Amino acid sequence: MKSTFLAAPIALALAAGLAAQDRVTVFRGAQVHPISAAPIQNGVVVVAGGRIVAVGGADTKVPEGAQVVDCTGKFLTPGLVDAGTTLGVAGQDLNEQGEEVTPHLRVIDALDPTDPRLSRARRGGVTTVQVNPGNRNVVGGLGAVIKTAGDTVAEMLVQDESGLRLTMGSEPSSGNRAIRGGTPVGIYYRRPTTRMGVVWEARKAFYDAIAYQDQKTVPEGDPEMTGFDPGMEVLVRALRGEVTVRTTARAEQDIRTAIRLAEEFGYKTMVEEATEAWRVVDDLAAAGIPVLVAAPSRSDAPEGADVRYHTLNLLAKKDVPFAICTGADEGSLGLANEAMFAVRHGLPHDRALRAVTLDAARMIGVEDRVGSLAPGLEADLVIWSGDPLSPTSTAEAVYIRGQEVTP
Amino acid sequence: MMTRFTRPLALAVTALVAPVAAQDLVAVRAGKVLTGTGATMENAVVLIENGRITAVGSDIEVPWNAKVIDATGKIVAPTYVLAHTPGGLSGGNEMMQNVPFLTVQDSIDPSSLFFEEALRNGIGTAHVIPGNATLIGGQGMVVRPFGKTVEDMTVVDRGGIKLSLASGRGGSRMAQMRKLRNALDEAVRLRADLARKKEEFDAEKAAGAIAEDKDFEEKADKTKQPVIDLVEQKITGFLYVPSAAEVPEVARMVEKYGVRLVLVLGPRCYKAADQLRELNLPIVLDENAIEYTERDPETGEETVVCQAKILADAGIEFAIGVSESGRSAERYPWWQMATMVRHGVDPATAMRALTTVPARILGVDAEFGSIEVGKVANLQVLTGSPLAATTWVETVLLEGEVAYERSKDQRLQLLFGGSEGEK
Repeated sequence: MKSTFLAAPIALALAAGLAAQDRVTVFRGAQVHPISAAPIQNGVVVVAGGRIVAVGGADTKVPEGAQVVDCTGKFLTPGLVDAGTTLGVAGQDLNEQGEEVTPHLRVIDALDPTDPRLSRARRGGVTTVQVNPGNRNVVGGLGAVIKTAGDTVAEMLVQDESGLRLTMGSEPSSGNRAIRGGTPVGIYYRRPTTRMGVVWEARKAFYDAIAYQDQKTVPEGDPEMTGFDPGMEVLVRALRGEVTVRTTARAEQDIRTAIRLAEEFGYKTMVEEATEAWRVVDDLAAAGIPVLVAAPSRSDAPEGADVRYHTLNLLAKKDVPFAICTGADEGSLGLANEAMFAVRHGLPHDRALRAVTLDAARMIGVEDRVGSLAPGLEADLVIWSGDPLSPTSTAEAVYIRGQEVTP
Repeated sequence: MMTRFTRPLALAVTALVAPVAAQDLVAVRAGKVLTGTGATMENAVVLIENGRITAVGSDIEVPWNAKVIDATGKIVAPTYVLAHTPGGLSGGNEMMQNVPFLTVQDSIDPSSLFFEEALRNGIGTAHVIPGNATLIGGQGMVVRPFGKTVEDMTVVDRGGIKLSLASGRGGSRMAQMRKLRNALDEAVRLRADLARKKEEFDAEKAAGAIAEDKDFEEKADKTKQPVIDLVEQKITGFLYVPSAAEVPEVARMVEKYGVRLVLVLGPRCYKAADQLRELNLPIVLDENAIEYTERDPETGEETVVCQAKILADAGIEFAIGVSESGRSAERYPWWQMATMVRHGVDPATAMRALTTVPARILGVDAEFGSIEVGKVANLQVLTGSPLAATTWVETVLLEGEVAYERSKDQRLQLLFGGSEGEK
């Protein structure tokens, strides 16, 4: 891909005298993987004002006086995108256990920019992450998309509300105890206690949301019912398709339930941590539901779900959109290494790389900002010592919005 | 034919391997042979007779009656040697802390997934020994991950004895050190006591108080004998050292008791690299001790430390371990070696840490660890570079016999979806 887009804004910026962050930087000599286009040997990436202004071959026009970063012998990719994590949120802050259905909670209120796991991700070349609340509630709350560097949440923020977490299976009921006589003193005396109960809580939440919505449309509605309910507002937005429901479902039966519930209420969903997606691949393809597969390096999964190495290959073959994420176990290997395991298990290299960049960005709706290298996109770049999906490679430098970030 | 390994790890042990019905002649045609001694040969043949390598080279004629293993276009390397692993045991440590009399022979489970996974990943020899959460944990043995019984698997029936400086079960470091010294002191005392009694016996015999045909028969308490063997250098201690803070105690132990030690290093020993070099003891980096993330307790900042690189730079040779857990990437030899290479250790050093160095540590380097004439034919056929994530072990030969073939690996096929996966 050759770009002649050496834009007027640069010339203007040069003329105006550049602030440090507006300096034009040229990355030269690397094997460039734009993801949205074929790899370029000895490529050139031009960055100004925190954005990419050109991506092309060695003959790409470069403004005079630009700062040149020599990347000869290196690999250059977009910053990796992890579409499913709990990074930046302390373990005890993941699950608000006062209620089972908490759609109004927002994960950004618990984000800690100094979480060392964020710098760990950054060291591994990950620049954008979806952060989710935990899986202990049936409806856990709203996630967010953030960059992995920044002093404040505001600085890091890409999307303050991204995806509503819904959890199938036994996790929301695990540890719950039914009240059988005695006094319900602990919070663990709560429902649901079974898979049926979990699904019912979800279904009831959406029934309530439909009723809430209906009441609001009645001019003389019951004031008790039409009072503002922030949780219901979120569920209504999900029903309208404005918020994607991220359904965690690992075992086959739970994935089928996830599909069924989405069809029943007509909301948009993706299946997260879909360990047994290999068993349901045709249904997922038919329903057009995207899938997030966590940590292909793992040989076991919660809920006793059966791990299979060919899961991603099968999803690719059946055209089910998917991304690879680190999931709830983000500490393990890092995203690039998880993609490496996907290649070990037979997924084509370019597809695996896409599953942790562009496809992951698409999954969380930020592909117009990050996930590939093209003019106009944010300049999140990683310079790798070698093939990013090789176990002997390291991320040597990481740039977010054109600024090199310290690991 | 019986393959015999005559270099014992410690005592004068009858080292043995159960005989396999070795086909007399096997020829492996390799795209490339990594001998493990640093040499690489393209388009070479490895000739095996009765389980031993009789010729390696590119100009070797394959005898008409040889069974040919076609590894053209592939890489042939020695199988890996683990100098220290608690894998394959049902329970790596006894709750009691001072149990020198235990042996893994009673705990090894031949059908353990660990051995299956080890073979699948090209491991041909493993020193199985109790885990690190102990004081004196018992004795290990060297096995191959192949066979239906412990006897089938045995390579050297008495390996090293496990010692640990990690304060287990909630104890303190000082208590752990004190207890270990006490155990060694006791062994020294028992040994001296026995020597004195023997002396008295001999004197009495010389004086005619004891009949001529009587011999001194008193023996030490059997439960203490392995520690006496340790202070007599009849068995090697595999001493777990959790951090740099315990390294000075290692020096004291060697000086005071004259014990023969192999150090199994935990992740926080790199700060003692200079002392370790001076000690000049054989070193095994535990499975989690290659790369280590250190967190500054004040600032919370994390630094990734590659202990293997620091030791290699200090001129210290070492073997490495792999995880016995089926869950972590650290169970893969390629990942462990690649982790070192990622931090700048040269690939040959990485490879040696799983071949020639551990073989030497175990005293079986005349038999295992490299592809050389005269050595036991423990070979693996790899689909690519031993450091690449995309490489799979295609075939494993143990003593010249095929012990593993990927095409017949049912569990692996299941993980790839079996026949479903082909669709």
